[in-house]
Amino acid sequence: MHILLALVTGILFAGGLYLMLRRSIVKLAFGLALIAQAANLAIFTSSGLVRGEPPIIEAGGMRLAAVSSDPVPQALILTAIVIGFALLAFVIVLIKRAAWIVGTDDLDDLRNVDRTAT
Amino acid sequence: MTAPMMIVSLTALIVLAVESLKKRTETIDPTLAILGLVAAAVYAAATLGSSGTAFAGTVRTGGFAHFFAILFCASGILSIMLSKSYVAKASIEHGEFYSLILFAVVGMMLMASAADFVIFFLGLELMSVAFYILAGFARGRLMSNEAALKYFLLGAFATGFLLYGIALLYGSTGSTSIESVFEQAPRLIGSTIFLVGLALVMIGLTFKIAAVPFHMWAPDVYEGAPSTVTAFMSTGGKAAAFAAFLVIFAPKLTLLSFEVREILAAIAALSMIAGGLFAIAQSNIKRMLAYSSVAHAGYILTGIVAANSYGSSGVLFYLAAYTVMNIGAFGVVAILETKEGGFLTFDDYAGLSARKPFLAGLMALFMFSLAGIPPFAGFFGKYYVFVGAIEGGFTWLAIVGVLMSVVSAYYYLRLVVMMYFRSGEGTFDQPVARLALGALVLSAIAIIWMGLFPSLVVDLTSRFFS
Amino acid sequence: MISPFSIILSGFLFAAAAPLLQRFTRDRAHVILALYPLLTLLLLINEYGLVVDGPVIRESLSWVPSLGIGLSFALDGLAYFFALIITTIGLLVLLYASAYFKGDQRLPRFYLLFMSFMASMLGLVLADTLITLFVFWELTGVSSYFLIGFNNQRAAARAGALQALLVTGLGGLALLAGFIMLGNIAGSYDLPRIMESSAIIQQSPLYPAILFLLLLGAFTKSAQVPFHFWLPNAMEAPTPVSAYLHSATMVKAGIYLLARLSPALGGTELWHYALSIPGAITMLLGAFLAFGQTDLKRLLAYSTISALGTLTLLLGLYTDDAVKAALIFLFVHSLYKGALFMIAGSVDHESGTRDIRALGGLYLQMPATAAAAVLAALSMAGLPPLLGFISKELLYEAKLQAPVAAPFVTAAGVCANALIVALAAKFVLMTFFGQAHSTPKQPHEAPILMRIGPALLAGFGLIAGLLPDQLASRLIEGAVQAVRPEIAPVHFSLWHGFTDVLILSTLTVGAGIALFRWGGWLLVRGERMRVLASLGPARAYDSLLRGTLRLANALTDAIQDGTLRHYLLLALIFLCVLLGAAAAPLLRHGTLPAMSGIPFHEAATAVLIALGAVTVASSKSRFTAITALGVVGFGVSLIFLFYGAPDLALTQFSIETLSIVLFVLVLPRLPKLLDTSSLSTRIRDALLSSLLGLLVALLVLLGADAHAPSHLQEFFGEYSVPFAHGRNVVNVILVDFRSLDTIGEITVLLVSALGVYALMRSWPGERQ
Repeated sequence: MHILLALVTGILFAGGLYLMLRRSIVKLAFGLALIAQAANLAIFTSSGLVRGEPPIIEAGGMRLAAVSSDPVPQALILTAIVIGFALLAFVIVLIKRAAWIVGTDDLDDLRNVDRTAT
Repeated sequence: MTAPMMIVSLTALIVLAVESLKKRTETIDPTLAILGLVAAAVYAAATLGSSGTAFAGTVRTGGFAHFFAILFCASGILSIMLSKSYVAKASIEHGEFYSLILFAVVGMMLMASAADFVIFFLGLELMSVAFYILAGFARGRLMSNEAALKYFLLGAFATGFLLYGIALLYGSTGSTSIESVFEQAPRLIGSTIFLVGLALVMIGLTFKIAAVPFHMWAPDVYEGAPSTVTAFMSTGGKAAAFAAFLVIFAPKLTLLSFEVREILAAIAALSMIAGGLFAIAQSNIKRMLAYSSVAHAGYILTGIVAANSYGSSGVLFYLAAYTVMNIGAFGVVAILETKEGGFLTFDDYAGLSARKPFLAGLMALFMFSLAGIPPFAGFFGKYYVFVGAIEGGFTWLAIVGVLMSVVSAYYYLRLVVMMYFRSGEGTFDQPVARLALGALVLSAIAIIWMGLFPSLVVDLTSRFFS
Repeated sequence: MISPFSIILSGFLFAAAAPLLQRFTRDRAHVILALYPLLTLLLLINEYGLVVDGPVIRESLSWVPSLGIGLSFALDGLAYFFALIITTIGLLVLLYASAYFKGDQRLPRFYLLFMSFMASMLGLVLADTLITLFVFWELTGVSSYFLIGFNNQRAAARAGALQALLVTGLGGLALLAGFIMLGNIAGSYDLPRIMESSAIIQQSPLYPAILFLLLLGAFTKSAQVPFHFWLPNAMEAPTPVSAYLHSATMVKAGIYLLARLSPALGGTELWHYALSIPGAITMLLGAFLAFGQTDLKRLLAYSTISALGTLTLLLGLYTDDAVKAALIFLFVHSLYKGALFMIAGSVDHESGTRDIRALGGLYLQMPATAAAAVLAALSMAGLPPLLGFISKELLYEAKLQAPVAAPFVTAAGVCANALIVALAAKFVLMTFFGQAHSTPKQPHEAPILMRIGPALLAGFGLIAGLLPDQLASRLIEGAVQAVRPEIAPVHFSLWHGFTDVLILSTLTVGAGIALFRWGGWLLVRGERMRVLASLGPARAYDSLLRGTLRLANALTDAIQDGTLRHYLLLALIFLCVLLGAAAAPLLRHGTLPAMSGIPFHEAATAVLIALGAVTVASSKSRFTAITALGVVGFGVSLIFLFYGAPDLALTQFSIETLSIVLFVLVLPRLPKLLDTSSLSTRIRDALLSSLLGLLVALLVLLGADAHAPSHLQEFFGEYSVPFAHGRNVVNVILVDFRSLDTIGEITVLLVSALGVYALMRSWPGERQ
């Protein structure tokens, strides 16, 4: 199963990158969302997969069963998911704001900085 | 205990609460925020000699962490002092401004005191999110929005890599504790996964310190963000990322294969060269300072590459010096900036010495220090890391640094030439706020003091790495 | 006992007080400021006994002990010798300047800079460690920069100041690098320790590099070919500045450095050639180029270059006689060149021009200045009974005994000196004698303060020439012994008898006069040469500067074009290379695990996610993209569920729902981008993304294989129930063991909310 999930991660990642390289600001947001998914999946996959054994201690038991999924990456991913959402919410508003000021969806309009002396 | 962090977090919440109770028309007062930071800094200074951990060994206290706490507080205090008149001028006087700065300081403190990768990641996120918002704080200005968006997108991207790097490190070592990850380093030195994990963490940090080739956001963001925010980001933010660099890599860099250091050295050299060359071409002072900050990232990295006590404590000294001189420089820019965001080019500064002699004198001082001319603080920073690099076997890097220092003298002194050796037109009638001027004077005193009596800081910094 | 540190410190205090003093004393600050060099001078004279047999006065303050940097000073014969020159000429130029700048608004600033320069220069020669020396070296550079640019409204002055600073700045940094290497080898930055380590240093493989760096520093400061071009351009400085900086002090700093370090570095074959060849070229070229000058100050500047070349040459020879000759010549040169610069300034000040072709017959209007000029010029020409004569005799003696190629060295010396004689004649005869011309201003005698300096300096040249043993030999001897303690006592006398040296001297004077009378042909040629030679390095400097600027502009335009996509592209390419390099061994050795044994529902979910991703990336409709994004998110939460992470699945599910709501609410109302990138761009991006995606997939696979047993899993599995009383280990970690992480996470959420709030508030467009 590793290989399948690895491939899926790769595809998600590639799709996200491709979107981030587009000119449309909205597509950037989509790309970001895809990359966030890819990162979570990557962490999940590369820290070892155990099918169907959640890290929950049986009622009455004192310790985790020897074969169960690793709780630590799960905690990490939980944090990442929540933070990812916070960022997504922020960037959506930011994009709307920027698009509203520029009046287009074109990222190439966002280059109003001075460049060189001459 | 992690008291400085607690004090700042609490202050941030109180500031937020106070602001939400206020009427819209009332002006906001930064006194509370400054007091909170001063209290945290004083506490950190008082407990500098201690050392310990908190929260089940995930956070370190005392010593190194508190040194950085003081640095972040100083950066925050000076930026806030500069900001009061600035936000009023730019009509972006909103209550959450100061609490965002305070939250960013908390994030920085978490980064510098992290003993665990997860804590480090959280600190980085906290700081970064606050920065994203602050960069776009002048929301009526297109450039400010643009800055926020660029910073955010590239930043989020870099954070993704960092997170993945942490996951790989966990995967290959079974631990998120920084110390235990590196205890296993000798065993894992041949493991691709381990090295890639390290590389990804390194790339994430390289982005935050704005080193080549992940520096491209810096000039656009530094230019677009409100000037006092830039002052804060470019000093506190950079210092925090370097603190993390030191925490994560410095003591163990020699354990790693030589290639890791070579790559870092190449990044340092490229940053010095590209930062310097790009800075020459600028006509906008904020952009010039942005590229100069890329170059300075290179100099500071030199100290990390050296991987010895000279290099590491040199990084600390350099960061302290850089914080005051860069805030000073951006502070002058912020004071002189007009309401509409003008008065930012070299040409605007022509003949400033006649119109605003005191400000021009301060700016010249900051420029000399940034150029590394003795007896100002910047000189010892450079000296320190170069000595470290030579002792660490990276003489070529020190030579690149010395050569690029000549180039940097050109762009810093060009401003001095403008201010002193040109006559300018027009009058300058903007009022200069006392609080902002106070911040500049404090920075100038610190620069001269650290330049004339460096040993107070040097003794302190070298203790952490002996 | 004299304290070098207090002397330097009080110099800076005087400097800082100067602007205030000027205000309170109503333009009479020079009276008080002059006390500083005067008192220092008296203190030094009081210590005169020290220069021969007294112990070296050392003073050490701790500065940065942990870096091994002390603030140490030493007053030995050499330092004494230079300090004497610095304070004497400083005193005279200060008084001169107070009259020269009378009524000038910028006088307070001038005093501030001038006094700082004087104190820095004293610091430079008194420093006893390399780092102290370097700090003062740079300080002289900075203060001289402002002094040269003092006439700041003129573009030429600005360019001159910047050029001087960049050239000497380059040298300064090279010097720092050299010092650090030197300190590393010797194990200390203290000069005495470095002198002791002479053998180690000279045998070190780094010795050539160190020498090169130090010479770069010394040569740029002391205007040796090919770095000589900044000095004539720095003549844009006001004359008092030139009289001080460009005759006796700053330009001699390089020579001082060479003399100071010669015991540690000198005497090798490399030293010999590295110094004497550039020195000889500078000596000849400077004199030759000076000959064609018509501006009094530029003429003096080029002749100074020649003199500095002579000094470098002599230090390169490094015989006993050469060192002696170098120091006496340095002394003499400081006296007459300081005087002549001040005289040139007086002429300019009183007549309005310093073009030699527009001057003449001034002795009538300016008799006192003319008398001083004659004396100084005679000393420059090396005629008896002036001190210049004695110095030239010694010069020839040293050159005749040069260890290598003595005839050539001597011949070069004769040529240069003959030119110098002609220059001295030209300076004094064409300015003060001959036919008078009408000048921009009606010339009259300079004020008294502007006459004192030249008169005293030139007069001393005469008196010391008559009484050399009494006035000069002990001073020189002290300086010589600081460099080479084994040298026998120095004795000077005016008359050596009929030796070959005297013949050379006579020949020189004769040739010089001939050149002055009939040297027109040389002038024409010199003019041509001047254009060639002075433009060589100067043009190199210009094109280097311009080339760097152009390169900087081109690079900035190419890389920093303000487009986010391009920034991202560059970063991705770098990543690709890095990850590719890391994954390369895997591609060679790794074996791919089999695809078998995958349950249908898992495979179907995976395919669903992949399809969703492709749809998001390729869709033109925003609604389709958002829907596909939702499919991806729910697919991922299913995967979490399959692999024992129900908490993750739940969180992912709810967050995904929220995200989609957000997307649907906000995004479709944004303006739409109609024109899209070209096909080739899209293909390029698709290829790059796919490549990176593949690399990431490989790494994930590798990571899953290399998974180490988790200590944390054991720990949490073991202690969750007994310590935290919780059975869901993930929850226990989040709310108990790692509660700080969770607080941090919540704070990030709070801050993001603040950001959203900040952006949403007062949305100007929505309400209209």
